[in-house]
Amino acid sequence: MADPVDSGDELFESLRKIDLKKEEEKAKELARKEAEHNAKAQQRLAELIGTNSTLLVTISSIRLIGGAHTRRSFLDRLFNPLLSANRDRPYTLAEALNEVGSVATKLQRFDIFHPEVHTFIDRPSPTDPSSTVTDIDIFLQARERGRISLKTGTDLGNVEGSAYGNLTWRNIFGGAESLTLNASAGTRTRSAYQATFDAPVLSDPDTRATIDVLASSTLKPWASHEEVLKGAGAKFSWATKSGTRHQLGYTGVWRQITGLQSNASPTVRHDAGDTVKSSITHTWLADRRNHPFLPSRGYLVKTISELAGWGPLQGDVAFWKSEVETSGAVAIPIPGIKGDSGVSFTAGLRAGVLYPLAVGLGSETKHSRINDRFQLGGPTDVRGFKISGLGPRDGPDAVGGDIYAAGSANLLIPFPRVGKDMPLRLQLFANAGRLLALKDKKTSSESVYSTVAQLGDGIPSVAAGVGVVYAHPVARFELNFSLPLVMRRGEEGRKGLQFGVGINFL
Amino acid sequence: MPPQESTEKVAEEQSSFSRSTSKVRDFFSIPAPVKQLFDLVPVVTYPPNQLPLRAPKSARIPSLYVFSKDQDAAAGRPSFNPSCLKWQTFLNIAGVDHRLISSNNHSSPTGSLPFLLPAIYGPNSSQDSLVPITSNKFVKYAIEHGGKVEESSSMRYEAYQSLLDHRIRNAWLYTLYLEPLNFSAVAYPLYVLPTSSNPLVRASISHQLRSAAEAELLKNTSIIDTDDLYSEADKAFEALSILLGEDSWFFGSDKPALFDASVFAYTQLLLDDDLGWKEKKLCRALRRRANLVQHRERLLVRYFGGS
Repeated sequence: MADPVDSGDELFESLRKIDLKKEEEKAKELARKEAEHNAKAQQRLAELIGTNSTLLVTISSIRLIGGAHTRRSFLDRLFNPLLSANRDRPYTLAEALNEVGSVATKLQRFDIFHPEVHTFIDRPSPTDPSSTVTDIDIFLQARERGRISLKTGTDLGNVEGSAYGNLTWRNIFGGAESLTLNASAGTRTRSAYQATFDAPVLSDPDTRATIDVLASSTLKPWASHEEVLKGAGAKFSWATKSGTRHQLGYTGVWRQITGLQSNASPTVRHDAGDTVKSSITHTWLADRRNHPFLPSRGYLVKTISELAGWGPLQGDVAFWKSEVETSGAVAIPIPGIKGDSGVSFTAGLRAGVLYPLAVGLGSETKHSRINDRFQLGGPTDVRGFKISGLGPRDGPDAVGGDIYAAGSANLLIPFPRVGKDMPLRLQLFANAGRLLALKDKKTSSESVYSTVAQLGDGIPSVAAGVGVVYAHPVARFELNFSLPLVMRRGEEGRKGLQFGVGINFL
Repeated sequence: MPPQESTEKVAEEQSSFSRSTSKVRDFFSIPAPVKQLFDLVPVVTYPPNQLPLRAPKSARIPSLYVFSKDQDAAAGRPSFNPSCLKWQTFLNIAGVDHRLISSNNHSSPTGSLPFLLPAIYGPNSSQDSLVPITSNKFVKYAIEHGGKVEESSSMRYEAYQSLLDHRIRNAWLYTLYLEPLNFSAVAYPLYVLPTSSNPLVRASISHQLRSAAEAELLKNTSIIDTDDLYSEADKAFEALSILLGEDSWFFGSDKPALFDASVFAYTQLLLDDDLGWKEKKLCRALRRRANLVQHRERLLVRYFGGS
């Protein structure tokens, strides 16, 4: 042990051998030191800002670094309101940083930059005669995303599998405009092609104008036909200060009901052929739920209103269609469990009415056609019924109705042992719905009123059951065991297991 | 008793086999308690929902889907499409009672009209009654449903039928769809206007109709020779005129038959002034054969009330 030669060897050996443990420790130490350093720097900065938060500053310039393809005029609209030259009073430092932060978030939301946008602040050189003492310069550093991206993949939707190809051309004119070409084919959508041009208005990511063109062919097995669509539309969407969203759009679409199955009903045969729908649609959405697929508190209200064919709209069909969709969720506290128990109760209500009108300024009211009427039933709305299993039926076909109302109540309970943090719940549900065709009366309003009154005749069609809900980040999956309890003759219930995938459940 | 033993053994094996298969079946079938539960529901069943207002009223007689105007269909007037008119006339001759429904090719199982939808007796009728009967099965249908059908078995029948199906039909396609004056005066209001009120859709459908007619004509020749088409049709009318001679009906029959309906399908439409023909070459060729004109009158009076 005491032999110096030996110990020298040992030293040599120890130098030659790379001690993994020691290396690891060293790396850890280094990382810790760096983190400490960063934290300290952050703290210092926070302190600095904290102590100087009331310091008056003026923003003399904002510069975006790394926006080579982004238009100056587009950025001007975003940055100009911040510049002190355009404001009547100076900022405090805290205010200024806040404003810059919100602009950085806006930049990210245009989807033309990579998610990390860094902010730097600098003081202009005091030797510059044009600068004042309070002036600061802002530098935003961002990295533009690739301008063209191609994506292919497969989708699994409601009883439908499909494959798609998607080509996106981003930031076409340097103002976050995008052109998306989409092609897909699937089990039910035989083919679909869509081109969408989308651009933010006045550099506001929440205000958008969209133009789209589409051509598609979809099988409608519940009504023994295939619908071929060719159309174009323009939409304008915006958000209000309170966070609700509006969308106003015009659509002109040539619809063809064709490819009828051999046992298609006379009702479907009668509606076969060409129609043009020319309509304006307004959608309003207030979503205050805490989770899109598995909410435990909050509510959602959505209204859709569509006016087709009336006055200058022309076309072959004319109607006013209104739909309301609401849902709410409350967390249920369980005695003995501290905090959030994970048990929640959700309820939803949907209703819609189609009011027939005359095309143009004519006086002859057009009866509704199968492609305009509502369909109800299926694993994502009234569970315990087949897809379009509710409402009027002619032979094998669900021919749809003009007025509907549907509601559901669900109790969601976390699985024991799995816990409330997993997006997995046991569900007990009961849902009901009614889908009716307009009655034959002298005037449209009479037939609408009497049909609405008919919604209350007897018990609505009801189903109840238990199931498992899984909220995947992209969609909600449900597997339910259901029993239809009340039905109309001809309506198609689903006794037993039913699987549902979707993003919008009742 | 060895043989008995073996049969017993076989029986045993069989029963064990059937037991195992029934086990497999049991696995897929619904367990008894669940089955009992299923039988309990629905607890309440109400009468069926009413159909939408556009749904055609159910009728006790079969429906013939043809190209027609709504009011003409309701009045049972002749269809403006030759193959629809042929079968409409045939059903009238055979005495098969039917109602007309104005429709378009999209509603047909074959992609073209006419077709017959059997009568529907109430909502409880079987699925079979929804399956349409295509025109090639009309003769069989008429015989089965007590129609009076005269079968022409003449050898010459085929030859004359081909005159109609080729020479006259080709001239008809040309004069209706490819003569620009006739297309805009006759075909456009009949086939295009009812489809949609939208000018783009109308333009697209006009184009489709014209190119379909052109493709049909180019099936047999490489170029469309107008004079040739008309002179062939003229010869065909001449041949039909000679065949009819002084008789009331073709092939010397004492009653009209399917062939009379086939001829009437073209003669009625070419001689109908209400259609508003502008280029009348084909009409004039027909008018020169007085006996064909009289034949058309005879059928029109007898089966369409002379309208």
